[in-house]
Amino acid sequence: MASDPQMIASQRIVEDLASRLRRRQVVGSRQAALETLLVLRQVVSRARFSNVDQLVDVIRSVGRRLVDAQPKEHSVGNTVRKVLHHIREEYHTATEGSTPAPTPTFSIAKFVSQGQPRKQQTVQKTDVTKVPLKENDPDDPDSFARTLKPVLMEAIQDVFDELETVYDNISKNAKDHIHSDEIILTLGKSQTVESFLKAAAHHRNYTVIVAETAPSYGGREMAKSLSSAGISTFLVPDSSIYALMSRVNKVILGAHAILANGGMFATSGSLLAATAARAYSTPVVVCAGQFKLTPLWNLYHEYGALDFGDPSTVLGFDEGDLVDKVDVVNPYYDYVRPELLDAFITNYGDHPPSSIYRLLKETYDDEDNEL
Amino acid sequence: MSELPRDGPPTPLPSSQPSQKSTTRAERREIQERQRAAKAAQKQQQQQGQQQGQASSSKPKAQNAPQKKADSGRPRASSSAVPALKDMSGAASGAADSEGRGLRIFSHFGLPKTLGHQVKGDIHPVIIRLGLQFSEFKICGANARCIATLTAFKTVIQDYTTPAHNTLSRHLMTYLSPQISHLVAARPMSVTMGNAIRQLKLEISGSDIDLPEQDAKDALCQKIDNYIRDRIIFADEVIEDLAVKKIKDGDVILTYARSSLVEKILIRAHALNKRFSVIVLDSRPLLEGKTLLRTLTSTTPPIPCTYALLPALPSLIKEVSMVLVGAHSLHTNGAVYSRAGTAMVAMLAKEHSVPVMVCCETYKFSENVMLDAFGKNELAPSKFSPLEAPKPHSNLEVLDPLYDSTPPTCITAVVTEVGLIPPTSISSIPLALGKTSL
Repeated sequence: MASDPQMIASQRIVEDLASRLRRRQVVGSRQAALETLLVLRQVVSRARFSNVDQLVDVIRSVGRRLVDAQPKEHSVGNTVRKVLHHIREEYHTATEGSTPAPTPTFSIAKFVSQGQPRKQQTVQKTDVTKVPLKENDPDDPDSFARTLKPVLMEAIQDVFDELETVYDNISKNAKDHIHSDEIILTLGKSQTVESFLKAAAHHRNYTVIVAETAPSYGGREMAKSLSSAGISTFLVPDSSIYALMSRVNKVILGAHAILANGGMFATSGSLLAATAARAYSTPVVVCAGQFKLTPLWNLYHEYGALDFGDPSTVLGFDEGDLVDKVDVVNPYYDYVRPELLDAFITNYGDHPPSSIYRLLKETYDDEDNEL
Repeated sequence: MSELPRDGPPTPLPSSQPSQKSTTRAERREIQERQRAAKAAQKQQQQQGQQQGQASSSKPKAQNAPQKKADSGRPRASSSAVPALKDMSGAASGAADSEGRGLRIFSHFGLPKTLGHQVKGDIHPVIIRLGLQFSEFKICGANARCIATLTAFKTVIQDYTTPAHNTLSRHLMTYLSPQISHLVAARPMSVTMGNAIRQLKLEISGSDIDLPEQDAKDALCQKIDNYIRDRIIFADEVIEDLAVKKIKDGDVILTYARSSLVEKILIRAHALNKRFSVIVLDSRPLLEGKTLLRTLTSTTPPIPCTYALLPALPSLIKEVSMVLVGAHSLHTNGAVYSRAGTAMVAMLAKEHSVPVMVCCETYKFSENVMLDAFGKNELAPSKFSPLEAPKPHSNLEVLDPLYDSTPPTCITAVVTEVGLIPPTSISSIPLALGKTSL
């Protein structure tokens, strides 16, 4: 198989992305998701398979390779899971004619174990259903792939389009969440939050307080960008979040990954802001694309679940006399418990943390949770 | 002020918010003046009405009393406009713009003072020097500022001569007040300075008239020395003893920014051969933790230290066995006013059931109630600001509050020289209320 030039080519693409992920040349969940999707599209278009299981295996192995390269970039795994889900869905739609689908019966037990019943009937791909799918055809092993591939490409394109428009879809309801003369607190640099706030600024006149979020100080960029969009912006150090919280109407955060229990990984500093908000009963709203939903649990918040960054931004080498005497810690992410969050605003609508698991069931197939 | 020559569109509703943006500064000032005049006139009318009502019963002597009130009512009515005007003169230099909603919410924060080069009246050179050191943050921290102020006042008192036909106990304070206001102009007064100065005033007014001038001055200086010794230096030593007892081998002590007292406690515990490690948390604007780190690591053998910025706290809090922080002042309701960020450290520590000990001498007690740190705060001067000064009329503003207030619920105990007490009990300590002589 390895001698197949097509396979070698797709392997090279996978390795390329894996190494870029490992070197942190691809950062940001959306960027990683987009890159993963591009790779998957190449892999699917080049893959040779004669039944759906072979295809799933190919994609899973690619997914495993990428996730191992950067296990903390959860959107990579999520994208793979999502593509797998779509492949199965398309496969089911295509084979529907030959094997009659069992009439869906609704029950709580079924909902818990299987999730929302799939709306297979609504998707009617007329040109596909007419061609009978032949799995494991010994005469023509490629016939299965040939019939299914165009549909799969279309499905991947759908995922792609969704990623492209994710910011617009999240921001479209911004004006329902931000009201006139409110004071919003946000921190760090999140493109999702940035576009959300800018969209709200078209309709509302409000004030944003941006915590600068040491040591990356992404908040400074964020504040510059927001103020240039005409939003009245205050840049404050992280230390003053608590002092200002009494005047803040809403805390809007970005997420790195949304976990199955409704908690999230987010830029370090988010937990402090969320806890301070809880002390003042200020609502905490999270803006995140649906590709950040991760079928993962982090109940105990192990130290190892963290990702640590470069300590030189905390204590630089200009403090030469100190550098070799002290430990310097610079974690990238905080784990924020679901109890501290009030709502997730996603491109699929607004959800409370308690219904995240349902969304997960709808979005991914259970068998893909472990890739 | 490039806006000034341009004629703004006539504003139909001078008080409506959005239209204010389009008016020029001069116009706004005019509106303010007009409103102020209207307010004063209204007040005057009310007073007159009252006066007429009372006229039948009151004697002619009482007649000028309401008149006086009406006069004093005027500055009160205009007092809200005064900071705004001051802001504008500050904005002219390019730092801030009074436009928009934002600044009005934050306008009560003490604006970072530009250097007190303009010296008004007869200011002693020692005070001028101290004022510069304050405004440059060369002397920073409640204890350091209090000691520096009192020491400077000793020099001032020694150099003072009572003018003819006056007594020291009556005139010295009038001489000291402009010195004090010069210091306040350099940087808002700390609670510690306020308490010490109040005590000093008490001593000055209580000094014996019959005493020769030099003796009276010496007695005052002696009392200042005693105050520094008893309320700060000895108090610190007692607190060190008490706090060190709480540090056990294998402990991980977390501290935030730098408190001179916490630094001394850690050094003392280290000298007593206790084996513990320290996590120093730090944050902008002042990044004082680096100074503490330098002191802690310069001991032999160095104290094992971990350094991190405030957002890293949630990742570290699980390992911590005790939080030790200092305070700027302690309030009647038990709130601790301290370096910005302390409240969040205490909050998270409480959530993880880690004891929070605040080290604080009783002379830092303030009889005010503090509900949140928004009402009273101070902004760091622009030299600590991360960005180059934003352009005037831009929507971006940089705020660097220096303090926040930790609610008493987040504090396990306050370590004072009279023992470990719950934060709300500070008001029942007689020493804190200044019931002892200087």
